[in-house]
Amino acid sequence: MKSDARIGNFTPRDAPHYDDALQCMRCGFCLPTCPTFALTGRERSSPRGRVALARAVAEEQLEFTAAVRDEAFFCLDCRACTTACPSGVRAGEIMEICRSQAQSFHPLGHPGKTFREFVLQKMLPSPDLLETSMLPARLYQRLGIQWLVRRSKVLKLGADWIDKAAGMLPELAPPLRKQLPTIIPARGQQRGRVGFFLGCVMTLMYPHVSRQTVRVLSHQGFDVITPREIKCCGAPHLSEGDRETARQLALKNLELLMAADVEAIVTDCAGCGSALKEYEELLEGLVPTETLAAFRSKVRDVAEFLAEVGLRTENLIPVNTSVTYHEPCHLCHAQGVSRQPRILLSQIPGVELREMNESSWCCGSAATWGLKFSKASQQVLDRKLGNVAATGAELLVTANPGCQLQLAWGVREAGLPQQVVHLMELLGQATPQ
Amino acid sequence: MISPPVVSRLQQIVGKDNMLYEREDLLVLGYDSTPGIHLPPDVVVYPTTTEAVVALLQVARENGLPVTPRGSGTGLSGGSVAARGGMVMCLNRMKRILEIDEENLTATVEPGVVTLDLFNAADEKGLFYPPDPGSQKISTLGGNVMEDAGGLRGLKYGVTRDYVMALQCVLSDGDLLRTGGKNVKDVAGYAFKDLLVGSEGTLGIITEITVKLIPPPQAKRTFLAYFNDMRSAGAAVSRIIAAKIIPATMEIMDRATINCVEDYVKIGLPRQMAGLLLIEVDGHPAMVAEDAESVRRILEAVKAAEIHVARDADEAASLAAARRTALSALARVSPTTLLEDATVPRSRLAETFGEIERLTEKYRLTVGTFGHAGDGNLHPTVLCDERDADEMSRAHAFYDELYAQVLAWGGTVSGEHGIGMAKKGYLARQIGAGGVAVMQRIKNAFDPAGRLNPGKIFADATEQDDSHEE
Repeated sequence: MKSDARIGNFTPRDAPHYDDALQCMRCGFCLPTCPTFALTGRERSSPRGRVALARAVAEEQLEFTAAVRDEAFFCLDCRACTTACPSGVRAGEIMEICRSQAQSFHPLGHPGKTFREFVLQKMLPSPDLLETSMLPARLYQRLGIQWLVRRSKVLKLGADWIDKAAGMLPELAPPLRKQLPTIIPARGQQRGRVGFFLGCVMTLMYPHVSRQTVRVLSHQGFDVITPREIKCCGAPHLSEGDRETARQLALKNLELLMAADVEAIVTDCAGCGSALKEYEELLEGLVPTETLAAFRSKVRDVAEFLAEVGLRTENLIPVNTSVTYHEPCHLCHAQGVSRQPRILLSQIPGVELREMNESSWCCGSAATWGLKFSKASQQVLDRKLGNVAATGAELLVTANPGCQLQLAWGVREAGLPQQVVHLMELLGQATPQ
Repeated sequence: MISPPVVSRLQQIVGKDNMLYEREDLLVLGYDSTPGIHLPPDVVVYPTTTEAVVALLQVARENGLPVTPRGSGTGLSGGSVAARGGMVMCLNRMKRILEIDEENLTATVEPGVVTLDLFNAADEKGLFYPPDPGSQKISTLGGNVMEDAGGLRGLKYGVTRDYVMALQCVLSDGDLLRTGGKNVKDVAGYAFKDLLVGSEGTLGIITEITVKLIPPPQAKRTFLAYFNDMRSAGAAVSRIIAAKIIPATMEIMDRATINCVEDYVKIGLPRQMAGLLLIEVDGHPAMVAEDAESVRRILEAVKAAEIHVARDADEAASLAAARRTALSALARVSPTTLLEDATVPRSRLAETFGEIERLTEKYRLTVGTFGHAGDGNLHPTVLCDERDADEMSRAHAFYDELYAQVLAWGGTVSGEHGIGMAKKGYLARQIGAGGVAVMQRIKNAFDPAGRLNPGKIFADATEQDDSHEE
């Protein structure tokens, strides 16, 4: 596709490609797949409408107004519309890029700006700082204040999101990053060497999941290399419109992972996986095309990887349970990985998969969206939970920490009986010690 | 521009949440799926009751506001774009299925009901609503009725018109007109219902629709036939019809379309083939078996390169779904997708393909052709770039010449998309000045002030060109 560098009313840095907006022929196939359009019924909150807004800015029919900014951030970036679009328009990515325009046109006030810069530019890029920052939260849990606060509803005094965030915090264990050996050797017949990309949310909130991921990989015959110096993948930055920091992080990760002598780069976080796979677009022009293509060809979600190499099933221990599977948007829509988790589920002895309706409909977590738009998020979540409840399955399986936080909180609040687990926890359970 | 007092009156009628007035909202409600047309309205309202539609039309009358009805904006002739500004009336929020009458085999719905939702609701009761436009997942029944939408099953089951039994419609001065009913036979005066179907929102605003449902076919068989050239695919269609076999579906795609669709669906369609036919026969199991066999013999006689039978219902559904994406998938290739709706008597199909090929070469264009071959309804689609003036003028010349031939063969300039803004120039060429004059008299009888969807169907003497380049 040729690139038309028509900037119009965008600032030149990180403007959406005009051609990408022009590609939309407005057929409306995306409309029934968009959760925010389902909520509002408002064209501007639909993929087709959002792309039209971007096009209007590029064609100077419209400034980058507050409404354009709001729609860019109200987009879940769930990419369901990308899956639905026969023309290959990527409305989510166009909106992601529009978010980076927001700082130029609608800068945040001082406190907001300082907080945002601290989190995105200081805390997330530095694993040590990130882990330290979670200390108060761990302390807070350890001291049982959590129980007290929950009971006394002290947190209701804060904004909605504080309340929800506190409610969502899982039991925190010490971060995994420093505990995980940098090399875990293959068990049994060796099949290869993989790099493991340990995500920030995984190390902080779901260390027990990633522990299972590397254990399963090693049991499946792979040496697992986990570079300590790995940085945040950049997904939160892309989501918040800080493409510059995302690029710096991506450059470091790319260099580090390309230097590791591994056949595949595997992750158990769908958000990280999709960010890594999109380094190709993010780093365009900064890194040789062939290096980017080589990197891209190595990145795999762990489910995708295991389905591709073939699961060794001979020693698996039966897990007698019924499960239903929620597809993380960043797995099925952003990465096109939808069949593979189901293949793995069908290979675990004893597991009965009960498909829910709308399994690939967003759960409403979507990075910080669920905290920013807590009411809308609840509506999106309710739709999902209704479909979960209808299956009557014992377990709700997913494959992304953002979804897991939201769903675990959701089933708890709704009093549903389902336990929420990561696919790798289930596979870990079936894998002998 | 609309004055603030009028705005507040509109808001009183529909409520704050059902009115849009911000620039950004107006901008994104100024298009449908027709390329090159973008005309933002002055205000957008979402009535939720027939009474609100009546009241809105009264305000429009008192203030001389043009009114353009709209559903999901998936139309392909500019029908739901406000050509003269004013009010766009979105009927999407009137989306209740009011009744499925299992004794009379009818469904009564509000205009905002999505086509596929009606199909599913009927299906749950063991009934069948056949019209299935490509956009059925989002298109609305109101839009389907206004444009007389077709679909993939048109060959055997007909189009929207064949299923509409009754309509409730608000006329331009706010009067309510009910026409038709649940009776199979009804000749009490003029058939307004048939006039309203396909009237493109120029005679009244539909607020309630009763459609006929039928028992679903008991059996179905789907196959794909591949061809080394489009003419033999066309010949196959003509011969199947001449053999007095009426498949439910007979869809065609050329090489360009096959490749674009395969890029999207990735189900293994053969990229090197010049064309394919998607054929579905349905009905009583014994008849399906017999028809399938006859069709197969004809395909072999016309030297189809390959015949593939769908293994099961899932595969059959995925093939139909793949075909539904054809137009949007073609849009992958170029920034602008100019789609047409040429329809010819079915005996002329092979010649029409020949003509499309000839003109494609003559005007040096990239064209993908697909469509409802069994209906003689083709969508030759020029893949171009609206920023290239020379290419655009060649594209228009291509269509001009193609339509001249189509009309000479007794075809029509619009099989299922409507005239709207896109094809006003062709109407008189097809039905003659006398025909247009009678239509205008009917329009004047219904809407003397010309408030309902102005700027559609009829070319204005002062209009040089109605297509607004974006």
